This record gives sequence, structure tokens and C-alpha cells, in this order.
Amino acid sequence: MTPIRMTSLAGAPLAALAGNSGRFRLLPFFAAASLAMFLLVAGALWYFERQQGAFFRDVQNQQIDFFKQVQDDFASRQDSVARRDLLSIHEAGNVNLTRLFANALWERDFAPFVGKAGQISVDECRALADVPDAKDGKPKPSAEKKACFAEIGKKIAAFPEFAGLNAKVFEMMKKSTVFKIKVFDLRGITVYSSEHAQMGEDKSLNAGWLGAAVDGKPTSELTFRDKFSAFEGVVEKRDLISSYLPVLAPGSEKVVGVFEVYSDVTPFLNQIKATSADIRKAAADNQDKVEAAAVADQETVDDSGTRTLAIVMLLLLLLFAALFAIVWRAAALIARQEMERDHAQQQLAQSEKMASLGQMVAGVAHQLNTPLAFSSANIQMALQALARFALPLQVAGSFSRLVKATDADKVMVNVASARDRVADIDPADLDVQMPQAMLQDTLQGIEQMRELVENLRDFTRLDRTKTSRVDLNKSLHNVIYIARSVIPTSIEVKEAFADLPEMDCNVSQLNQVFLNLINNAAQAIGEHGTITVRSLVEAGRIRIDVEDTGSGIAAEHLPHIWDTYYTTKPAGEGTGLGLSIARTIVTEHGGEIAVQTRTGENSGTTFTVYFPVAA
Amino acid sequence: MAEKKGRILCVDDEPNILRSLSWLLQREFEVFTANGGEEGLALVAAHDFDVVISDQRMPGMMGSEFLREVRKLSPRSMRIMLTGYSDLQAMLRSVNDSEVFRFISKPWKIDELPAVVAEAASIARHHPEPDAVAGEASARASAAGVESLLLIDDEATLAEHLRQELGSALRVIHAQNIGEAVGAFAENDIGIVLSDTRVGDVDTTAMLRMLKQQHPGIVTVVYTAGTDAGEVVSLINQGQIFRFIPKPVKPAVLALAVTAAGRKRQQLKANPELAGRHVVVEIDADSKQAFSRNLDQVARQSIDPAAQLPFLQRISGGFKRLFGTAA
Repeated sequence: MTPIRMTSLAGAPLAALAGNSGRFRLLPFFAAASLAMFLLVAGALWYFERQQGAFFRDVQNQQIDFFKQVQDDFASRQDSVARRDLLSIHEAGNVNLTRLFANALWERDFAPFVGKAGQISVDECRALADVPDAKDGKPKPSAEKKACFAEIGKKIAAFPEFAGLNAKVFEMMKKSTVFKIKVFDLRGITVYSSEHAQMGEDKSLNAGWLGAAVDGKPTSELTFRDKFSAFEGVVEKRDLISSYLPVLAPGSEKVVGVFEVYSDVTPFLNQIKATSADIRKAAADNQDKVEAAAVADQETVDDSGTRTLAIVMLLLLLLFAALFAIVWRAAALIARQEMERDHAQQQLAQSEKMASLGQMVAGVAHQLNTPLAFSSANIQMALQALARFALPLQVAGSFSRLVKATDADKVMVNVASARDRVADIDPADLDVQMPQAMLQDTLQGIEQMRELVENLRDFTRLDRTKTSRVDLNKSLHNVIYIARSVIPTSIEVKEAFADLPEMDCNVSQLNQVFLNLINNAAQAIGEHGTITVRSLVEAGRIRIDVEDTGSGIAAEHLPHIWDTYYTTKPAGEGTGLGLSIARTIVTEHGGEIAVQTRTGENSGTTFTVYFPVAA
Repeated sequence: MAEKKGRILCVDDEPNILRSLSWLLQREFEVFTANGGEEGLALVAAHDFDVVISDQRMPGMMGSEFLREVRKLSPRSMRIMLTGYSDLQAMLRSVNDSEVFRFISKPWKIDELPAVVAEAASIARHHPEPDAVAGEASARASAAGVESLLLIDDEATLAEHLRQELGSALRVIHAQNIGEAVGAFAENDIGIVLSDTRVGDVDTTAMLRMLKQQHPGIVTVVYTAGTDAGEVVSLINQGQIFRFIPKPVKPAVLALAVTAAGRKRQQLKANPELAGRHVVVEIDADSKQAFSRNLDQVARQSIDPAAQLPFLQRISGGFKRLFGTAA
């Protein structure tokens, strides 16, 4: 069998855990951990609740925005549609008007007038360079150019037919919504305007004119004028539609000139605006309602969120309280059980101590019994011998008195009377050496008893302070002396001591450990064998071996030998605490205990204890 | 110088003890001493000793081992165990292996020890050597017929076991209490008694001791769960118990002990003189009284009042037969 080696260190952290130093405190740990967890959960819930509220708010805002957009879109569409309709209706009206106008006046009055005006050359004026406008940098006719065209206008106005034509136009347009009429020739020159100052202006570059003159299509535009000189004087703040309209020669599609007609749409536009305002107001009302509803919804959502949160928190708190109560009860129960177990273990440890003490006392009693036996027998025999000396001493006393009473060398003694008594004197009884030897042996016996008592005192060390500085060899010798009286005499105990440095320790406790190890060794041996107790200094540590030639520890028991209550002895004989206590004591001394065992052939076990060397 | 009363060997590892013993005994006996088992055996081989006194606890050979060897080497020597240490195991071994005559406890009384040794020496000198008649006895054993064994035990399992195992060689009588046991003595010629030290809550040892005193020819085997060394000492000194069996009783051990007891019984029957080697110390008055009280109690506890009178008569008859006196 190969030797198996193990140390107690493997179990040490576990013991430390169970010990006082790293005690697991159930209730505070549970309370802290679960409270923290509950707070986390509550926090997370609160966060999610808020997130949800914010999301709901965002969604609502988006919806509100969208609703607003839709409403605004509808409103503006309605507005622009109304305006477009207004424009196209009025344009159509203006086209008809122009037709009527042209039908009435073109052939007789305007055609010759335009033709005459067309004879006035405008090339000179057109040749004048444009100047960039101060505002937008686009080329604009200079004041000089404008004046040149204005001059042309004045020339046209100076035509003799002009006054009659003008009067006809004014007559026709009186009391109509048309505020102004302009007539352009195909060069783009304003040959007539109901606002006479504008005559002669060049509109050849105007998009409206171009549309009408070149493409033959009417173009209309809605404008607002603060001041406008109409047929019946100057008017203020008016919405106007200006239409450029091609003049077609009667009965043909040929454009012969362009009218520009300004018609007043202020009342229509106002109507449109009122409608738009109405719609906008309705939209705003709707918006307000939607927003109010959103706020109410938000509140409801927030409220319900808060309520949910509150309920969940309350439930969590209840759960915590319930768990706390349960754990509190459990902790109390565990504490009580632990206390009971500690108590039981203490009692068992005490009984173990008492058992080993009892065993020791029995051994010591036997040890004491031997000197006591021969000493008491010797003293009794010596007393008997002394009693037997009485007669010979009487005889000797009489003889000495007789001798002292006379100076003569010869004395006559009548021995007849004494003969009977002297006959009782056995020569064997006159041996003084024997009683002397008896008493001498008795003295030895007393010496043995004294030694025993001394060893016993050293073993228990009840008269010493708990910790003292000792030479372990002395202590070991002492333990072996005590152990020899306990274990069978057929077991030899050998001492193999090397010089050891002194160490601080609780001698009584260490004695208990060593006695326990030696007792175990003796039990492993049974009847015949050897226990070797070895001491040495190894790698800066004190090492004590207790080696036996016993049966060894079976592999299945080996991992458990340090366990509390683990024993292979029948119930009632072993508490299973011996090695457990030994390990505790060694650990408390900063030491380490290990075992090496071998079963089968050449079996045996060595327990090794290491102690740190005191600084 | 007067003729010495016998040749004695004292064995102890403690020289002071040996000196003290020889001082005590040298007046009356020729005393040899040895300080260990091996040395003692050498002396036993060389001389013919009447009495061998040995200590139990000795380094090397234990006292019980030594006495066992002495029994083989010199069967006629009476063996006395000197012990100061109550080691029950060793005591039981010495009873079973070496059949010691007496246990003497340390410290000994200087007036008693020489008397015991003198008695032992006288027995050794005047009674035959057991092994000298052994062959003769065993030859007669088969002719002697079936021996009766009285089992005193309050449980039936052991009785059944014995009947099964040894029923052919032995007649097993089972007594459930000491009353029945005493009754059984009245009706049967009991050769072997097998008993627990306690039956029910009654101590049987007093009865066993008294029994041996009156009937040295009965061979007693006791099994015990107790660890009281004092009880073992008194059973040996006053009851000359043939074998001790530790509890729990192993059937093989029991069978062996009972068979050995049967042989011993045959020897004693064949040579009643041999019983002289098993003289007992007279039982003390206190134990006698205690036993009487117990017997009384058992009689009163008898379940059937109608059966009580014949039962008492039986007991009284048995008692007379057993102990020679009325209870």
C-alpha cells in the first residue's frame, strides 16, 4: 500500500467560515441584499413608468402636431383654392369684359389710336441703357429711360383723339369693379392708361404682357394696393386682380394689342379671408380640444402609472416585510440550533476530556498502586520485624545494665529464669538489615510516588498561567510518562528528541493533544508494537512526530478523521472529538497537523504536528 | 530450619514488588523471583513450582499470557494473578486462558496473601495433576451419558440456539429467573451452569458463588456485558468460574466454551478429587442475605398464586439440595 498523506489545512477555511471570525450574518445580509434589490426594482419600475409617460407625451405631441399640420394644410388649401377660384373667375370676367370693351371700342376708336401711337418711334428710348437696381441688382430702366418713355406717353396723350377716347373709356367703366384699364401695342408700349401718368411706359419685358402678346393667353395676378388711382379717384387698401389680356382683332384670332385691366376683388377676398379665418378658428378650437384631451390623457396615464407604481411598491414592501419576518424567524431558529449544537459539542468535548481524564486517572492510580503496594507491605513487615526486636532488645538492655552496674570483668548471671523467654528468640529475627532494606525500598516507593505526582502536576499545569514558554521536549517526556501508565505495557514508547527552541504555548492543551495522539497510536497498535515520539526542528519550524506501528488508517476513514463526531469506535467508547479538538488546539497555536498512514504490510501511522518557532 | 510449605515463583517487572513479596513469603516458602514473563518461563521449565504468582501488567509478555504458558508447561502449579489495574479484558483472558486460582489485588494484605499461597501450595501438593487424568476422563466421557446444562437467561434465543447446536450432547434446561433456576436444581442433576450475570434485574453472581461452594463439581460459564472488574474478581475467587464470555455472545465462542465446560465436567466427575483444585473462598454473609432477598422477591412475583405453594416447596427443596441450609 502506498502511503497516503493529508493535512488538516484543507478543512481550515471551512472551519474559519464556521468560526467566529467569518460568521455569516443571515439577517443583515438578507435585509441589505433584498432591500437593495427591492429599491432597484422600484427604481426600474419608476424609470419605466416615466419612460412610458414621456413616450405617451411624445406620441400625443406628435399627434397634436400632425393634427395641427393637417388642419393648417386644409385651411391654407381652402384659402388658396378660394383665391385661385377668385382669380380665375375674375380673369374670365376680365376676358369677357375686355372682349366687350374691345368689341365696343377697338375697331373705331383704339385701332386708329394705337396705329397712330405706333408711329412714334421708341427705339431711341429703348436704346438707353438700363441700370442695376439698388435693391436686387437686376437691370432696371433708368430714370432717364423712364422719362424718355414718359415723354412718348405725353406725346400720345397729346393726340387730339385722346380726350374723346378717354371719356368713352371712363363712361364705360363708371360704376364697375374695374379700377383701371391700360392698353399696350404690340411693341409693349403703354398707349393708353386710365391713369394717364403711366402712358408711354415700356412693358415689353413684362411677363404678363409677353404671355398675352406673344402666346395670346391671359394672365392674372392678385395684388394688394395701399393706394390706387381708380376711375373715380384714388382708393385705399384694395385687393386687386390685374389681368393682361390679348386683344384679338374682331372675327380673328390675331392679337392686335394687350389690355391690362385692374378689377377690385376686395369684398370677395374679404369674404374668402373671413371664411379662412373661420376655418382657422375652428381648427384652433379643435386643436385646443385635442390638446386639452391630450393633457387629460397624459394626466390619466401619469396617474395610473403612479398608482401602479405605488401598488407595486406597496406589494414589494409587503413581500419584503413577509420575507424579513420569515428570515428573522429562521435566523433566530438557526441561532438557537447553533447555540444548542455548540452547547452539545461543548458538553461532548467536556465528556471527552473527562473520559480521557478518567482513563488517565485510572492509569495513574495503577502507577501509584505499585509503589503503594510494596511500600505498605514493607512498612507492615518492618513493623512486625521491629516487634520481633522487642525481646532481643530487652535482653540486650538487661545485659547492658548488668555490665554498666559492675566494674568487674566477670559477672555471674542466673539464666535459668530467662531460658524460656530467650528460647523464643529466633536468630533469623535478629537481622536488622532486612527491615532496613524494607524501609529503604519504601523510601524508593515514596520517591516514585513523588515523581508521579510531580509529573501529574506538570501535565495538567493547573498552577501555571495559561500560556508559558516551555521546552516541548520536557512536556513530551511528561506526557509519555503519563501515557505509559495508561497504555498497555506491551507497547514500547520511544523518545527521539532533538534540541528544541522554547516556544510559547498553553502546555496543558498541548499535553492533551499529545496524550490523545499517543493514545490513538496505542489503540491502533493493540497489543504489541512501538510508538516513537520524535521532535526536531525542520525548515524553521518545530516538528513533533507521533509514529506508530499500528494497523494504519483505512482509505475510507482518512478524509474524515478530522471531522467532528467522526469515530470508528463503537458508540459510547469514542466521541469522535479527539482529533477534531487536537486540530483546533494546534491551529490556535499557529501550527499545523498532518497525517501519513500506510495500511497492509509494514503498516503504521505518523501524525505530525508543526509549530512556528517563537520569534 | 523448618520444612518450607512449598516452592513459589513470583513474577513482576517491578523489583521492589518482588523484594517485598519474597520478604513476605520467604519465611514459609521457597521463593523464586523473575522480573518478566520469559525469565519466569525459564524458571518454570527448570523447577517444579507449587504456586506461580504473576503481575498482569508487564512490558513484553502480559501476565495472562505468561500464566497460560505456565498452565501448559506445569499443569499442577496453582496460578495466582496479582493485579492492581482493573483491566477487564485482561482478567477475562486470564480466566479463560490460564484458569487462575485466585485474583489478588494490589496492594495485598500481608496476613492474607501468605494464607492464600499456603492454601494453593497445599492443593497443588495434595491434589492430582489435572492433565494426568485427562485422558482417562475423556475415555469415560462417552460412557457417562448426556450431561445436563442449566441456562439461566430471561431470553429464549440463546436456549434455542444451544438446543440446536449442542442438543445431541447436552440436555438444555432453560430457567427464566433465579427461582426457576433453584427449582431446576431440585429436579435435575445439573453438571454445567450457563448464566448471565444479571437475569431480569436480579444479580445472579451471589447464587453462582454459593453454588460452587457447595458443589465444586458443577462447571460454571458466565457471560457478561458489565465491565465491573470487582465482580469478575469475586466470581473467580468465590465462584471459580470456568469461562467468561463477553457480551454480545458469539455462537462460536459460546459453543467452544460449553464444549470445554463439558470436558471439564467429565474430568471432575471422573476424578472428584480434582475439584479440590477449585476450592473457593467462602462467600460473605451480606451477599448471602442479598441473594435470599432476591429469591424471596422472585417467589412473590410468581404470576400464578395457586402454583405458588408447590413452587415455593420446589424452591426450598432445591435450595436445601444446593446450599445445604434452608433459605
